[in-house]
Amino acid sequence: MTLMLSVPLTLSNFSCYSPVCIDSSHFIMSLAAEAFVSQIAEDQILLSDCASSLAVQAYLRMCNLPVQVSYRPNAEYMSPSGKVPFVHVGNQVVSELGPIVQFTKAKGHSLSDGLDDVQRAEMKAYMELVNNMLLTAELYIQWCDDNTAAEISRPRYSSPYSWPLNHILAYQKQWEVRRKMTAVGWAGKNLEQVYEDVSQCCQALSQRLGTQPYFFNKQPTELDALVFGHLFTILTTRLTSDELSEKVKSYSNLLAFCRRIEQSYFEDSQAGSSSRGYSKGPSLF
Amino acid sequence: MPQPVRAVLAAEGDLHNWAYAKFAGAPLKVYKITNPWRSPTGVLPALKTAEKSIGSLSKPSNIIIHLRKQKYNADYDLSAKEGADTLAFVSLLEEKLLPALIYTQWVDSKNYVDVTRRWYAENIPFPLNFLLPNRIHTQQLERLRLVRGDPTLEPGEQLEKELYHDALECMTLLSQRLGSHKFFFGDSPSSLDAYVFGHLAPLLKIKLPNGKLQQHLNSLDNLRQYCTNILLLYFPSEGKEPPSRKVSVHPEGSDFDSEPHKRRNQILSVLFALGSMLGYAILTGIVSIQQVQAQPALAEPHHVDERGEEDEEE
Repeated sequence: MTLMLSVPLTLSNFSCYSPVCIDSSHFIMSLAAEAFVSQIAEDQILLSDCASSLAVQAYLRMCNLPVQVSYRPNAEYMSPSGKVPFVHVGNQVVSELGPIVQFTKAKGHSLSDGLDDVQRAEMKAYMELVNNMLLTAELYIQWCDDNTAAEISRPRYSSPYSWPLNHILAYQKQWEVRRKMTAVGWAGKNLEQVYEDVSQCCQALSQRLGTQPYFFNKQPTELDALVFGHLFTILTTRLTSDELSEKVKSYSNLLAFCRRIEQSYFEDSQAGSSSRGYSKGPSLF
Repeated sequence: MPQPVRAVLAAEGDLHNWAYAKFAGAPLKVYKITNPWRSPTGVLPALKTAEKSIGSLSKPSNIIIHLRKQKYNADYDLSAKEGADTLAFVSLLEEKLLPALIYTQWVDSKNYVDVTRRWYAENIPFPLNFLLPNRIHTQQLERLRLVRGDPTLEPGEQLEKELYHDALECMTLLSQRLGSHKFFFGDSPSSLDAYVFGHLAPLLKIKLPNGKLQQHLNSLDNLRQYCTNILLLYFPSEGKEPPSRKVSVHPEGSDFDSEPHKRRNQILSVLFALGSMLGYAILTGIVSIQQVQAQPALAEPHHVDERGEEDEEE
């Protein structure tokens, strides 16, 4: 453990937690191996958490910080803010992309130093757009759509637990998310409107991206990581219907963007498996 | 030919909607009322449209969509990228600025008691002035708890610090984005300008005891200038009395509204008191109604027959 004051955090002491249960015991494994072990047991992770987790991993990789992914079924409860993913460095625990970005910045690693004030304002705005629309839409589809909730979300969420805890926890989570949807005003929407919002968000992102390789200049920033996390997860996740991924696929520059980031930052860790290997096989769910 | 629309906006207002309508050039008739029950949809703000099929709308996004359908579009000249930027900045404001604004008006104990609740109590007719502010207060607190995922959240230093930190950062970002331009995109205002103005202008004008947000906004010269500029250009008549939550109804209107109610309440309460005293007196026998004896006395000079009958009854 060489986390000394004089040495910046460039050493392999970042570990990133996601709520995936494997064999109901925890593994600490490097990213290279996870492609093989991930489908042993029914996975617990859901679309929204996977997207957030992937965004953080992408960001850390962009900063050239080696990261170990660790899967825990109770990661939500371990996190200081109740949200995953969180990062455990030394004796500090930081959760969610925003605080993690600030944490790494304080340690001297930042992707957005080269931006001027206007660009930084735009970057923050677009990050909020993704959180506001894409993340909320993902939560809605998972928990407020009865089909998806019954077939996918509840079984997955409760897979590590035995009866009756699995029912209780699943319904509790569903109730909590539905209340949150009411609070933000999404409860009155139907599925079509949600898909429409996703489409609008993707259109805004696509227009902002244009023909550039990344959102700002030639270097990726945390916005690129966040967008990649969400879009890639949506594209590679099989839900009850394909409409969500179709909405994203209709924007070719966003597809090219995802592929580019995957090739640049994730391909080196695939031990010869297919380019979709990261998503744990052809279907995440 | 676009139809003129009639709008019923409260003084409490969604200034955002009003500003958008002004920027888009929609001919609106604005009614300033203080009683939400008198609005066509039961809540304020409300837009009453000329089409019977649509009726009245209340949700701000619906109002703007309707105006756009009627060809009143403030975003017509925006490029695709600017449209995308609008969506992004509106998300930013909703996530970072709006919670703090709501907190500072409705949840922060000092502000709520001293300013917001007092204003509602003075300006909204009975009985809503007792019910409405408290209901909104609890609703907003509940909403904050849900959105932050913490059911034990209490208004206090910690929460205030977090919310204000985000809001101050958001205002600084807005200021940086605006720079020295007149409006956010080009030379004419767009829906983003309506949103920003609608939310920042009341903050500038209402005097709150706990005014950290206001102080920060005042320190951002270009934003302050921006708000005053829009006020002068598009709301010149409100220049003296800004269309904020504080000064709501036209002065004559407010007197007219409150006086008859006050008078009526006074008369009603006096009558009620008299009635209950009389009732109590009759029931306990202090006062008894001597009708039977009074009538013969009255009837004597005219109806001798009646008196005879009554004597028999006795």
